[in-house]
Amino acid sequence: MVDRISALDGHYQSGRFGTDGDTDVGLQLIRDLQLQQVAAWPDTIKKAADAAAKAAGADEAPAPGKAISGERGAILRSEPLKWWLVGVDSMQIDSGQGAVLDLSHSRTQIRITGPKSTTLLNRLLPLDLRDTNFREGAVASSAMHHVGVTLWHSASGYELFIPRGFALSIWEILFESALQFGVEVV
Amino acid sequence: MSARRLPSGGRIDRSQVIRFTWDDRAMSGHPGDSLASALMANGEQVLGRSFKYHRPRGVMSAGVEESGAMVTVGEGARQDPNVKAPMQELFNGLTATGQNAWPNVRFDFGEVNDMLGRFLVAGFYYKTFMGIPPFEWGKGTGAWMWYEKFIRKAAGMGSASREADPDHYEHGHDFCDLLVVGSGPAGMSSALAAAEAGLDVMLIEQDWELGGSFLSQTGSESKNRCADMVASLNNAGVRIMLRTTAFGLYDYGVAGLLERVTDHLQNPDRYQPRQRFWNIRAKQTILASGALERHIAFGNNDRPGVMNAAAGRAYVNRYGVLPGERVVVATNNDSAYKCAIDLACAGADVTLLDARSTLPGELAEQAGEAGVSLRTNTVPLKAKGRSSVNGLELAVVSGSGWRARGAESCDAVLVSGGWSPVVHLMSHRGVKPKWDSENACFLAPSRHETIQMAGSAAGYWRAADCELSGIAAGSVAASALGKKAKTLVLPPIGGWDLAIKPVYEIRVPGKKLKCLVDPQHDVTAEDIRLAHREGFVSVEHLKRYTTLGMATDGGKMGNVIGLALMAEALGREIPEVGTTTFRPPYTPVSIGALRGRSVDKHFRPLRRTPMHDWNLSHGATMTMAGLWHRPWYFARLSETISEAYVRETETTRKTVGLCDVTSLGKIAVQGPDATEFLNRIYTNPFAKLPIGKARYGIMLRDDGFVMDDGTTWRLSETEYFMTTTTAHAGKVMVWLEELLQTRWQDLKVHVTSVSEQWAGCAVAGPESRKVLAACVEDASVMDNEAFPFMGVIETKLQGGIPCRIARISFSGELAYETYVPSDYAAAMMDLLWPKAEQSGGCLYGLEALGAMRIEKGHVTGAELDGRVTIEDAGLGKMASPKKSFIGSALRSRPDMTREDRPKLVGIFPKDRSQTFNAGAILCSVDQVSGLGEGWITGVTHSPAKGHWIGIGFISGGHQAWAEKTAIAADPVRKGDVEVEIVSPHMYDPSGEKMYG
Repeated sequence: MVDRISALDGHYQSGRFGTDGDTDVGLQLIRDLQLQQVAAWPDTIKKAADAAAKAAGADEAPAPGKAISGERGAILRSEPLKWWLVGVDSMQIDSGQGAVLDLSHSRTQIRITGPKSTTLLNRLLPLDLRDTNFREGAVASSAMHHVGVTLWHSASGYELFIPRGFALSIWEILFESALQFGVEVV
Repeated sequence: MSARRLPSGGRIDRSQVIRFTWDDRAMSGHPGDSLASALMANGEQVLGRSFKYHRPRGVMSAGVEESGAMVTVGEGARQDPNVKAPMQELFNGLTATGQNAWPNVRFDFGEVNDMLGRFLVAGFYYKTFMGIPPFEWGKGTGAWMWYEKFIRKAAGMGSASREADPDHYEHGHDFCDLLVVGSGPAGMSSALAAAEAGLDVMLIEQDWELGGSFLSQTGSESKNRCADMVASLNNAGVRIMLRTTAFGLYDYGVAGLLERVTDHLQNPDRYQPRQRFWNIRAKQTILASGALERHIAFGNNDRPGVMNAAAGRAYVNRYGVLPGERVVVATNNDSAYKCAIDLACAGADVTLLDARSTLPGELAEQAGEAGVSLRTNTVPLKAKGRSSVNGLELAVVSGSGWRARGAESCDAVLVSGGWSPVVHLMSHRGVKPKWDSENACFLAPSRHETIQMAGSAAGYWRAADCELSGIAAGSVAASALGKKAKTLVLPPIGGWDLAIKPVYEIRVPGKKLKCLVDPQHDVTAEDIRLAHREGFVSVEHLKRYTTLGMATDGGKMGNVIGLALMAEALGREIPEVGTTTFRPPYTPVSIGALRGRSVDKHFRPLRRTPMHDWNLSHGATMTMAGLWHRPWYFARLSETISEAYVRETETTRKTVGLCDVTSLGKIAVQGPDATEFLNRIYTNPFAKLPIGKARYGIMLRDDGFVMDDGTTWRLSETEYFMTTTTAHAGKVMVWLEELLQTRWQDLKVHVTSVSEQWAGCAVAGPESRKVLAACVEDASVMDNEAFPFMGVIETKLQGGIPCRIARISFSGELAYETYVPSDYAAAMMDLLWPKAEQSGGCLYGLEALGAMRIEKGHVTGAELDGRVTIEDAGLGKMASPKKSFIGSALRSRPDMTREDRPKLVGIFPKDRSQTFNAGAILCSVDQVSGLGEGWITGVTHSPAKGHWIGIGFISGGHQAWAEKTAIAADPVRKGDVEVEIVSPHMYDPSGEKMYG
């Protein structure tokens, strides 16, 4: 199998950039995203949720706006009737219970870390990311520089899912905004 | 004598020196200075020239309301005009210059305008539109086009740089429980009370120091109080933003802020933006935005040396600058007494004129002890001197008016005509402030929505009352958000010992005076009366006619006085005249801050296909298609675009061509009811589409017009892969979601955009099957019989790349659309291109794609513009008469079925060597006028035909125009071209090549 080529390949340079002093932001491209969408019908939410949880190796599927990490992957409730399985390469479900769709190549995943990661995101993202509102395990969809994105607060930091075609454009504006904080591209 | 720096006192750091230049002259100041205080300390008096009359102006205030010392800061590309000198923090290397003057503000030839002042009154500019009397009476304004530029040149403010802005700006979003605007006693106390109750508080201050009116006070008590509060705020975790102005309040607790990040720095970090534009979403808001001191309209009240009394106090106490040696303080209220006392204590010879007949006991006593001379019933009548004040004519009470009596020698006049609470931000919420006659000011309601007023912004004049009102407001905010907070009893609004005496203008019989109401726009008291005489009654009309309050201060200085004069002219009270509505921004916001990072390459997000870099490395010239960047053509050597696309078209039709078609919209339609869903949205039947087949479909809007077209591939019993046009991808996706969520909730169907998941390449031309067969792992899947026209297969390209292929054609040739998961796009092209090259093929771009589709008569977004029925597009046979579908009812309306509707046609130039343009209007030969008979949507040179062709619409279609000549009218570009109207299917009409 040939290697996957990310939307940022050829434009992604690791290293330390920006203002002198502290390095308050880390940016990392998470390669080879595996992303399965599981959609339920209104009368099969429980069954589809159980199937999604099982596929991710989790005890249960999360409520809207939440994410749960399982043994094989994480489950994000992306819409009231939909979950995203991150890190899961395939899944089956009976069409009477729901629908599965491979979206692994549709998004580019960027991880944002560091003490100024929230500040950086809020330069572009109109989401209330304060600890009181967007703790670890929170998920939200919003717009960043006119582009619809999904943000997940994972144990590792913020995971930003950008539509692949816009990924380089959003990466560039995110990177330029991060220079003021001192940024390490991993 | 001018202002001078005191040897001690103030909040400046005398141990350090700051070097700056003013009008190319080297000067110095200290950390803590504003540009205004430093210029005053350097003995500068004339710092500006007025808008229209070019009157000399000095510092008139110590804040955002400044109307005199408006200067240009920076030079070259960083030239920033109309900066209020009191708001500009001094820094090493600052360069500032005077503006609206020649050769300079100290000696300005434009001052001749002041002598011609009687001709330049309110409405002067509008009257110039009527032409020069008597030559142009009733004839319009022929000469105006000539003299308008001289009028414009003679008036104005500073000039912006003509160079591109070298700085960058950015936006920011933040959230809080409570937003407090203003950090005076009320703002700090409210922030502290709320933070201590457990709220997440943001405190916004436009100055570079917290403290508000504390900063203008003398004595260790207020200094310590201020310092203690700042320390407490920091300890309580209040998020403090300095140099930040809340310029607007919007729906649902949204506040717009402008943060001046590096405007005060000599060598800012290059990664920091110059300014930051903030959107703050606050659950509660407290406006502790203070109050602005009003002036009084007396003769020459704009002379350098005349300023408001609070400013005088700020300069002496905060900046250690004494505004004058012999100072007259003129007031109609208690507040100016502190100013007079502080100036006297700092060494000035101070006379205080109080318009009232009695003196406020305790304050007057303190003033007397400080050596201030006090006069009652006395007001300023006219300032003497031109470039600086050297005396003041006085007036005393005479019945209900004033009469001239005496003069006072002085070098500074400090005026307090009362206070106007800053209600602007509350006004942004559509709240009309109400006139409080007792305090002679407009007050906003203390609470509206989730917003509260506090401190002097709410009409409290005593510092202690301001603090109390701040604590109360903070407590209310905390309670509103479920926190425990104490309830406080507030004192009544106001708080002066002796009531204010409303005084807005000083006039005496028989004396002509130039009394400025709005100094920034040179609006005089006489202008207001002129407007009244000319019939203006509404304050909104008055404002526009006189330009009162329309300068960069937005009426902070003059609005109340203007209203009062209008009320007097109309014989009404101020509340009956009304008030003007304050709108954002409170202070100017730079265009750079508004656009943030959305400039140059970030003007809009760029959407790249997964083959973007591959296309570029293979010679693509790109073009924009919506937000997408798509290959336009692949020029070889020195080919022009025309040569390139003609070659690409010819090569594709002859052998094979590859084209990036990733931008087509792609939607996964999944679920047990997916077939029923498609059958309802497409005009043609989908109920019996077999698995492994694709079908071309048209979808209509509810009103019966065509929305979009595309092919839909059946992948399984319950899953389809729909393609849409590039232009309508988003619209179709939203439409399908809307149908499922609002009309057909019973259908078990999910639609998901997979436009980003799949990268597509059209492989078109007679050799396309051969090329693909060489690239798939199992070549047998490409057999003609196994893979017929409109067939769909899911297979693998060599290397195990999963792909789905449909045999469909936009070019009119044997062709396939091949899709792979996006991260494999380059790998797919690396497989396809060598094989295509071996077959003598080419890469082709949007231009060749367009040429081939026009030859073939295929419609795109250019044709499906929302005005076209399915019959107009020549696709009427695709509308099933046997089923109901979206748009099926309304497409039968009489006007939709008229025979003479414009229908899709092909267009040839009558003289085959001629060309015509897309956008030309098609007319009959005998009537080349009006809306014509149709229009042209696309044109190209047709390699197949050997001449220019077009596609478009014309009444009745091509049959109605057989044997007739039409005119392609293009009056502003090409002129008229005779054309023939033909069938839109100009290439291979039977489809032999496509089916082959």
